[in-house]
Amino acid sequence: MANEMQRTDGEWSRREATHLLWRTGFGASTDEIQQVTKDGLDKTLDRLLSPPQESAEFTKSDALLRQAAFDSGNIADLKTWWLHRMVASANPLIEKLTLLWHNHFATSNAKVDSVPLMAAQNDLLRRESLGSFRPVLHGIAKDVAMLVWLDSNSNRKRHPNENFAREVMELFSLGVGNYSEHDIQEAARAFTGWHVRDGEFWFNAIQHDTGEKVVFTKRGNFDGGDVVELCLEHPACPRFLAFKLLRQFVEPSPSKEHIDALAARIRQHNFEWRPILRELFASRLFFSEPARQSIIKSPIELLLGAVRQLKAKPNLQSLARLSAELGQDIFEPPTVKGWDGGRLWISSTTLIQRANFATALLKSNQLGSISFAGLRVEDDVNYFVELLLARDVGPEAVAELRQFAKNQTGDAETRLRSLAQFVMQMPEYQLT
Amino acid sequence: MTTRREFLKQFGAASLVSLGATPPSFLARAAAATEAKPDERILVLVQLAGGNDGLNTVVPFGRAEYYKARPGVGIGKDAVLKLNGELGLHPAMDGFKKLFDEGWLSVVQGVGYPNPDRSHFRSMDIWQSAKPEKDDVSSGWLGRALDSTVEQHVGKVPGLAFGTDKLPLSLVASKINVPTVRDVKGYQLQLGPGNESALKTHKQALERIASRDASAGSDLDFLRRTARTAWSSAEKLKQISASYKPATAYPGNALGNKLRTVAEIISGDMGTRMFYVNLDGFDTHSQQANVHQTLLTELSSAISAFVGDLKGHGLADRVMVATFSEFGRRVAENGSLGTDHGAASQMFVVSPKCKGGVIGAHPSLTDLDDGDLKFHTDFRSVYATLLDRWLNIPSEPVLGGAFRPVEFV
Repeated sequence: MANEMQRTDGEWSRREATHLLWRTGFGASTDEIQQVTKDGLDKTLDRLLSPPQESAEFTKSDALLRQAAFDSGNIADLKTWWLHRMVASANPLIEKLTLLWHNHFATSNAKVDSVPLMAAQNDLLRRESLGSFRPVLHGIAKDVAMLVWLDSNSNRKRHPNENFAREVMELFSLGVGNYSEHDIQEAARAFTGWHVRDGEFWFNAIQHDTGEKVVFTKRGNFDGGDVVELCLEHPACPRFLAFKLLRQFVEPSPSKEHIDALAARIRQHNFEWRPILRELFASRLFFSEPARQSIIKSPIELLLGAVRQLKAKPNLQSLARLSAELGQDIFEPPTVKGWDGGRLWISSTTLIQRANFATALLKSNQLGSISFAGLRVEDDVNYFVELLLARDVGPEAVAELRQFAKNQTGDAETRLRSLAQFVMQMPEYQLT
Repeated sequence: MTTRREFLKQFGAASLVSLGATPPSFLARAAAATEAKPDERILVLVQLAGGNDGLNTVVPFGRAEYYKARPGVGIGKDAVLKLNGELGLHPAMDGFKKLFDEGWLSVVQGVGYPNPDRSHFRSMDIWQSAKPEKDDVSSGWLGRALDSTVEQHVGKVPGLAFGTDKLPLSLVASKINVPTVRDVKGYQLQLGPGNESALKTHKQALERIASRDASAGSDLDFLRRTARTAWSSAEKLKQISASYKPATAYPGNALGNKLRTVAEIISGDMGTRMFYVNLDGFDTHSQQANVHQTLLTELSSAISAFVGDLKGHGLADRVMVATFSEFGRRVAENGSLGTDHGAASQMFVVSPKCKGGVIGAHPSLTDLDDGDLKFHTDFRSVYATLLDRWLNIPSEPVLGGAFRPVEFV
């Protein structure tokens, strides 16, 4: 199965371009799909992995939104700031990776209660999104939002609090089953005294346990940084990260073979993301048939994907609220485990809300504005199927769609809106 | 209508005459009329998420070791609502105390499972999958129970997760899609402005599109099945009277609101046999006193109001409420006036049809498993009892083995 990581030699068409754009970003407009179809895989990967400068307009809006969030101290404004980046940045892959790591190091403002601290953690994740995992894991162990979130101030020499030590192994680097309860107790001692004072990381030497610890059968006078290194050296670490990457970018339930193949590349490249991601996004595995349309969209992927596909001018505040209702409240994940994703995004309630989202976007202006005024297409059914579903839907569905399109009355704009709404309410639209 | 049980209670209290083995015939008729058929019985499962501190919920005030282990967070002997000479409820639980006195509340003590896992997520998965030995989270125990009785549920909504967006693992089935409803109002398909017949055509076309077969078990198949469930159950819920009048006042808390709607749905009779509601926030690592008090107030007041409401509508005899949490907490408090993840704890069962009282011994406070209470009753025994004796669904295939029943029903 190792050859799954080899470079694809399959065909390059509009469908492959759409697959690459959807997975590495948030939806894609017809123009973007056409451009990438023309550019080909290598040129597109160059651009995704060596990001172009942001436009002056974007940089200005970005700074204004961020400042507004810092001024108000309201986390809702920071959500708007981030959503704007996801929708409008020239580098959606970076935002997608930042979101992946936000879910991995899931920290909630519900407890942290600070815009600057949540923003600082977000900056750390973004800074290293195309860098390396090493500085992120070290950084997160001293990240103030994380320290507050996992009660580090109560981790004291005589009363170790296991919260961070447990999560750094269970959720941040190794996964369940790769450490013992004893490893956690010992690691907690190594992190004693890693506290917060005046909103900054503070090594509280008096509360640090300087005694010998045994972690993963290794013995030493470890501190927190040593434990982080021990986790990075642990053979389970690249496998755990491979699982996370595959689940985000390739397939919902990665096989052991795929995990091992990618884990070997992660170890080989010493956690450096750029070469790892380049290999992954150009691999046979990434473009394989079972990987296509195999992932259920997260609320953010659904909402922002639609906005970008239809070139809507979104109301970001409303989208942030809707995403929260659908189960993905950025900066406020439900637990330190983050969002489970996959089928757990979908319940009858959220599926109804996802269908209602299409109605709100296309049949009202609650979520922003859309215009099909300039759209001239020969075959409207085919146009929306390719843009929104990018798959063969079968002759029955095509016939159903043609009949639906025929039944629509009103002007061209209204009819196109109804058709797009209908396509977005097909169960297929939930897949990416 | 007076139930047999209430009649006997009142009669017994007011008279010195024994009724003997045969009740008067009018009473037998009344009893027959109110006795729920086994397939009409309902289970309402209440999840206490985060790991409820069982020791401060049912307090072993009669034991000095309790106060020794909990000098800061222990509940004083005088404050507890005494159930017997050694156990008392947290003072916030006066609703539960009343239910206990009526014989409607069973406290099942010392519930857990072997080799307890102290991770919230893994332990919650264990409780919900009921498969502690295997890392198999593909289905839940109630989901498998629904699967095994699938032919009874045709055209009904047999399970419902309420007040949540995410389908809890407990209700994950392979043959049935259990809807999750946050609130009835938001649970309606909206298609926008347009005349009624156009919207109907739109909806029917969507239903046809979602009715096509996809390869079994695939995500597309799952999405289509969920879509069909969602659209048909939304239709049913809409038909339930919006003018439901609760027979008792509910507390204004979130659990109360959820249970109020559960009562509404039970009264509307959609054939739902399993409801699932969640109360979150029990992960009380520090300064737990106030938080825990608030949570237990919510739990106790909401469930008592719910049971009172059902009683007022003559539905109480059909319903059993059971609570569970992924683990209890350590016996000894921590250094931050809180408690850390533990193991065994109690479960509550509430119903006029349960036997009431304290069931099983309180686990030892000194003979511990790595600082935690040892369980003596496997949680699957409680599940087996609920399935076999209440829902009338054979437990063995669902739980993958036979578990000794617990005498609460």
